[in-house]
Amino acid sequence: MTRVFGDPVDVLLGGDGRPVRFVWRGRRHTVRRVLEHWVTTRDWWHEQDPAVEAGGEREFWRVEATPDREIGVYELRHDTAAGTWRLSRVWD
Amino acid sequence: MHLHVASAYSLRHGVATPAALAARAAELGMETLALTDRDGLYGAVRHVRACAAAGIAPVLGGDLGLGGDERVVVLAEGAAGWRSLCRLVTAAHEAGGRGAPVATRELIGAHAEGLVVLLGPASDVGRAIAARRPDVAARRLAAWRGTAETVIEIVNHHDAGEGPRAARLLALAREAGVPAVLANAVRYLEPADHPVAQVLDVTRRLVPLHRRHLDDRTGHAYLKSLPEMRRVAALTCGDDEADALLDATRRLAERCVLDPGRDLGMDGVHLPPVEGDAQARLAARCADGLVRRGLRGRRVEERLAAELAVIARKGYAAYFLTVADAAALIRGRGIRCAIRGSGAGSLVNHLLGIGDLDPLRHDLLMERFLADSRTGLPDIDLDVESARRLEAYDVLFDRYGTRNTACVSMMETYRARSAIRDVGNAIGLPPGEIDAVAKAFPRIRASQIGAALDDLPELRQSNLGRGLLGVLFRIAERLDGLPRHIAMHPCGVVLSNATLRDRTPVESSVLGYPMTQFDKDDVEAMGLLKLDVLGVRMQSAMAHAVAEVARTDGTEIDLEAVPLDDPATFELIRTSRTLGCFQIESPGQRELIGRLQPRDLDDLVIDISLFRPGPVASDMVSPFLAAREGTREPAYPHPDLEPILRESLGGIVFHEQVLRVLDAMTGCGLSTAEAARRALNEPAVAAWFREAALARGYDTATVEKVWAMLAAFGSFGFCKAHAAAFAMPTYQSAWLKRHHPAAFYAGVLTHDPGMYPKRVILDDARHFGVPILPLDVNRSGAAWHVEPVSAGGPAGIRVALAEVKGISDAEVGRITGGRPYDSLTDFWERARVSRPVAERLVLTGAFDGIHGPDVPRRDLLCRVGALDRGTVRPPVEGQLPLDMDVTERIPAGELPPMTPAEIVEAELDILGMDVSRHVLGFYDGLLAALGVVRAADLPGRPAGADVLVAGVKVATQTPAVRSGQRVIFATLDDATGPVDLAFFESVQDRCAATVFGSWLMVARGRVRRAGARAVSITAAACWDLSVLHETWRRDGLDAVRALMARPGPPGRPVGRRIVRPTGFAMSPYADIGHAGPSAKRILWHTSGGSSGPLPS
Repeated sequence: MTRVFGDPVDVLLGGDGRPVRFVWRGRRHTVRRVLEHWVTTRDWWHEQDPAVEAGGEREFWRVEATPDREIGVYELRHDTAAGTWRLSRVWD
Repeated sequence: MHLHVASAYSLRHGVATPAALAARAAELGMETLALTDRDGLYGAVRHVRACAAAGIAPVLGGDLGLGGDERVVVLAEGAAGWRSLCRLVTAAHEAGGRGAPVATRELIGAHAEGLVVLLGPASDVGRAIAARRPDVAARRLAAWRGTAETVIEIVNHHDAGEGPRAARLLALAREAGVPAVLANAVRYLEPADHPVAQVLDVTRRLVPLHRRHLDDRTGHAYLKSLPEMRRVAALTCGDDEADALLDATRRLAERCVLDPGRDLGMDGVHLPPVEGDAQARLAARCADGLVRRGLRGRRVEERLAAELAVIARKGYAAYFLTVADAAALIRGRGIRCAIRGSGAGSLVNHLLGIGDLDPLRHDLLMERFLADSRTGLPDIDLDVESARRLEAYDVLFDRYGTRNTACVSMMETYRARSAIRDVGNAIGLPPGEIDAVAKAFPRIRASQIGAALDDLPELRQSNLGRGLLGVLFRIAERLDGLPRHIAMHPCGVVLSNATLRDRTPVESSVLGYPMTQFDKDDVEAMGLLKLDVLGVRMQSAMAHAVAEVARTDGTEIDLEAVPLDDPATFELIRTSRTLGCFQIESPGQRELIGRLQPRDLDDLVIDISLFRPGPVASDMVSPFLAAREGTREPAYPHPDLEPILRESLGGIVFHEQVLRVLDAMTGCGLSTAEAARRALNEPAVAAWFREAALARGYDTATVEKVWAMLAAFGSFGFCKAHAAAFAMPTYQSAWLKRHHPAAFYAGVLTHDPGMYPKRVILDDARHFGVPILPLDVNRSGAAWHVEPVSAGGPAGIRVALAEVKGISDAEVGRITGGRPYDSLTDFWERARVSRPVAERLVLTGAFDGIHGPDVPRRDLLCRVGALDRGTVRPPVEGQLPLDMDVTERIPAGELPPMTPAEIVEAELDILGMDVSRHVLGFYDGLLAALGVVRAADLPGRPAGADVLVAGVKVATQTPAVRSGQRVIFATLDDATGPVDLAFFESVQDRCAATVFGSWLMVARGRVRRAGARAVSITAAACWDLSVLHETWRRDGLDAVRALMARPGPPGRPVGRRIVRPTGFAMSPYADIGHAGPSAKRILWHTSGGSSGPLPS
């Protein structure tokens, strides 16, 4: 089943910019495989004070990762303008 | 190494200019860059030049639509590829019809030589892959391979699912053994540009901004660096494949690099074929010309020999023969044709019959036009009658062939108003609001929007620029200068040979002419001959006047043969009553004419050259006039320069003088002097001049003084040949005004060549005693014509049918074809005009001639209604089942006749001009009570006197002036003549809205004398006359006085100054018109619903 979170996570990136490890709720998860990667721009025309000049996008990584033996699918969301990472969804 | 790049020349798709893309590619260390704009090669020449400037190698191609959303990219390899690309783009435009180019696989196959087809995600192969139909994709790929050289193009902008799709496409390529390359389908320079691309996406589709309408959802369509491209490849297909992909991409790019000379033919000129030895034929034609023009003597022969020698060295004989041929063809059709520009300085042009001025007699130089030191084909511009410009085009297309001839195009770009409209639609503002906001801005560049909001008094108080509008303005500024629409250049025609369509893509213009996708700079860079055939309304006006003279009194005038020293003509010019004359009718020009008092054609040449921003701003005018009036001795920096500068009394006015001064002081020759003139701002030229002049023995003080003059005035100078060419129609129009006034006004009113509304010209005609004959269905023609008021009486001018609002050409044709009419009913049956047009004709008195004063216009108006109701539009031509009884039964004289005020109101509404009497006449009572001074009485007022003036606004201008202020010049017409007003920045907060927004004005100001006769007013305050009049009628004179005594807000400067190196400061809003809707068509103050009452 799918669960939706929005928890901040710490992410370690590899040389080509892919997530290699992340820490969620104090537990270290190792990325085994990137299933999907995509980005979207913000809907700047809906925002209250759109800083149009700033640009910025949201980058999503759907990965197979494992905290221990069990493998789960995790969706990590990176806001490039703010530099933040969150865990947006988990399938397990 | 990017192979798929759209510049802003992909309309409403690309964001970056070719120059910016090439510069960035070089910065990123790339050695090649492709430009593959959508469905056209509009940016190709710019790209090649930008790559040369950036030091990288150009690749060219096209991103072609195949119907639906399907697209493929084709790249050109070598000369054959470029030829194919040009012809393919032309064929796609032919196949799809204007503005909807569409290619097909078959069409590409028919032009496959030298082309490489890239099949990416938008191709039919890519679509089949996206639909998970590898079998279909493989079949389609095989079909493409049978058509042309085919390569798979991998693109990944990281949209959801895009990466896996790209991987599957690559797998297909590997399986089929087709090479694959990596591209980024670039649309902009950097990630932050994506909002602009998104606005363009929805603007192109005419939908509001929403994620589902966007092509660009990720912001990754930017010019990525090599490491970034490597990362895309790795994320898409893994590290091993990534390197292979990038290698293949680099190899294809290197293969497709084009050489500008060898492949694109930019190193040669491509003229129409000329039989035999062109140089020998040219020399023979010039020898004939010497005889025909009656020129002889050593000076002439030496000049001719020198010109022919330059032409021979450059190999341009065929060019001159072609232009002479073109000019002769146009004149052969009876179309007036005059040379303009520096070409008038060439004796060869004069002898070939291209130009009518003798360059030796007017002291014009060839080097400004053609010299060894000038590169590229010289420019010869021809002015023809505007009304027959397309006829002139037809002559050229017939002569040289439609495959060898093409019109030049031009890109219309986003400016403030258009940018605000498109962005406003994208963010979903209501149309009415968008219109209001857009019109609030003057016609400025989009990038000035923010500054204008703060600078201009008429916008400052508007509270625009807050909230959602703030977003709108910020995005709109970023659309600045992007191409938005391709249009036919107003005058350029390319004349070439059968290889033209191998060198330039051609599409159809709105008018159906073949039009190259290159603009005027591009065709020049491509070595193509561009002839500028300008439509000039004054030429049409003069042709009409000459025809009217011939028709009415049988005199055939040859304007080119009219003596250029007619005293009566110069006497007219010296009075400054030059409304309607070419070049010398504006308020500023009339003031200058008044002070300069021209005596001959050379004076007109000086006048035209002085009345330009540079000389005015550099204050060359006052010392010249002082020397001319004898109040100051002309000063020459050195006796050697006196012969050169005598014509301008010590100043440097002409480019030709700059050349001669440089030559005299350095001995460099005129050709080198011309090269130095064009580089006058470069420090190296200053150093060269000083050294050479000192070496020839001039002392340091003289050298410095002369250089200061050259540096300050030289770059502002005017080409004397150009001014002399302009002085001809100026003189000719004044000659017509003086000797054939009625025909002159008929020409000017028909072709509307000048800056003033027609009603001002009409009033001028009244002042010159030319009777104005009202509209009459039995007498008025399609155009204005000359008609004696009575047999043998003075010649008047008859109002033209074409002036009636909303009348169609077909209606005009039926009216004039069916004359005479003996009644309104007869007219209604046979002329078959629409009811509104019939009503307008009645209201403007067009039937007064038939029905006379006994049947008032209101009665006739009722009859039109009855006729309309009684007419069942006939199913068969000629059958009019009409109940005559009903319509003829209306008794005459039941309704009151229209008052003079109502008649003038109808005239203004329908014709746009007051024909029967001057509109200001209705305000005489108030104006007299206020003590308003009339234009005719102003010269009698002392300088500095405080006066009230009033009138109809006929013109406003904001030209560049010396102080760099934004000065608003307004001209009022008060029935006795023009009143010229200047509003300086200190009063604009108070006055700008009234000056721009009202039609009838009262102004208070100080009299300023400008020369012996001319007077202008420095305005301090102004009011809308209709508002004052309303107050007067309601509350009396004291209330008006109280209203006028109310103080206004204090002034502040309008924008910052642009200061030129010469110290010439300029307002950024000079010469750009004003904010807000134009008041030109607002002719009357009306209350809602009905046309308001006129004062009586």
